[in-house]
Amino acid sequence: MPQLNSFADLLAIARETALPLDAIFLAEEAAEREVPAERVFQIFLERWAVMKDSVRRGLAGGKSFSGLVGGDAKKVMDFTRDGDIAGGRLVSRCIAYSIAVLEENSRMGVIVAAPTAGAAGMVPGTLLALSEERGFDDAFAARGLVVAGGFGALVAAKAELSGAAGGCQAEQGVGAAMAAGALAFLLGAGPETSVHAAALTLQNTLGLACDPVAGLVEVPCVVRNGFTAMLALTGAQTALAGVESVIPMDEVVEAMVKIGEAMPRTLKETADGGLAMTPTGCRIRNELYQIR
Amino acid sequence: MVGPSSSHTAGACRLSHVALALLEEEPVEARFELHSAFAKTMRGHGTDRALLAGALGMEVDDANLKNALELAKARGLAYALKPKNMGPEAHPNSVAIHLRGRTRSISILGASIGGGMIEIREVDGFPVSLSAKDPCILLFYEDRPGMVMRASEIIGRRGINIASMEVLRRGKGDQAFMRIDLDHPLPHDDVAALKELPGVHRVHVLDRVAGGAPIT
Repeated sequence: MPQLNSFADLLAIARETALPLDAIFLAEEAAEREVPAERVFQIFLERWAVMKDSVRRGLAGGKSFSGLVGGDAKKVMDFTRDGDIAGGRLVSRCIAYSIAVLEENSRMGVIVAAPTAGAAGMVPGTLLALSEERGFDDAFAARGLVVAGGFGALVAAKAELSGAAGGCQAEQGVGAAMAAGALAFLLGAGPETSVHAAALTLQNTLGLACDPVAGLVEVPCVVRNGFTAMLALTGAQTALAGVESVIPMDEVVEAMVKIGEAMPRTLKETADGGLAMTPTGCRIRNELYQIR
Repeated sequence: MVGPSSSHTAGACRLSHVALALLEEEPVEARFELHSAFAKTMRGHGTDRALLAGALGMEVDDANLKNALELAKARGLAYALKPKNMGPEAHPNSVAIHLRGRTRSISILGASIGGGMIEIREVDGFPVSLSAKDPCILLFYEDRPGMVMRASEIIGRRGINIASMEVLRRGKGDQAFMRIDLDHPLPHDDVAALKELPGVHRVHVLDRVAGGAPIT
């Protein structure tokens, strides 16, 4: 197979081979690892099972060890009614499931990083909500996961995916873009449309700061996974409607890297700026760490 | 993986797992120096627990990771964690790890670069570039002619491909260092043969420490 280092490479291979995105990624990973593609897909099925279980455990509740978060996913689930302002069951579940994974994460529970732990909510949250809504089985949902993982790997080849290096855009922005591409794929989009979904989503998270209160992956990270899940839905919906990203995905990723470099350290996971340094953020930190 | 942070929990665990693999014996003392973001948010991200977990040999998805401080005490592993400013050029998630076992010690400097991926930047003072994702051999030896040939001959005889390599030395005839990345793990016999080479002080094997178990 020709080289696969960028989204441009991916689209070229898709045009050439007429293969669906998941098949391209599986073949690439199988060649790299020197194992059959079926074995690679088996790993994705196993990851999908862990993801679903992390949603279930997250919804069951409990506070984080700081006591700052926990229980919000359940609130969103319990409140869900058809005709809700934010669009009913699918939307509510996307929000609730995405938050649930992060609540489980904040209790040091087992999750699947997607692409990071602080951004682990959107991919399982949105894919599971959509699968339940449309009756997709695990094997089909896991094909979406392959696409999400492949998109994440292509971004990671060019950008460092940590709040410390790139701010929250490099974590939740990328997680939402992965989810958007996978959602579009599961809803029947072609390769170009899936990549547009990811590009539209990522470009609308650019500049997002990483300013966690007391340095914990809790505030604003946990609830933010619910919000960025909405961006993923919007990205998939607009791309499926035919909206195209004017800036190609590879260039959006480059822009993200440059913005990350330009961001001050105070907004890159040091808990020295933004929400972390508000009076309330400082008070919480001081109480937690008994700083006087 | 176990939360809450892929770079501060999973990456930290993998970094000290690499140090443990290089030590090749049970550590009795572990010292960690944390830079910038690693130091600032250590407790909140469970970085302290994750570093200890790696030194105890745990994988990133071990549900016991959160109890690592208590387990270290129970296993008699003395530890210390402290912040250290490594300067503006250092990666914000950098950590220096010093492990001491009964017969030897090892020091590494590494960085957690996001999504649980890591980079080792120094091993016992030698500047290296190591992701620990693929099978890799580290050779410490006395600088002399023919060492690269002898080492690569042992590997080549087995039909294993060298993906990349790096050769460094402190000075002419002084201690030298070789990093050999391989496409497949090297069998034990060949590792033993490398150790037998004249002038070789130490040989370390890193077999996909970061990146989880190999897919078989």
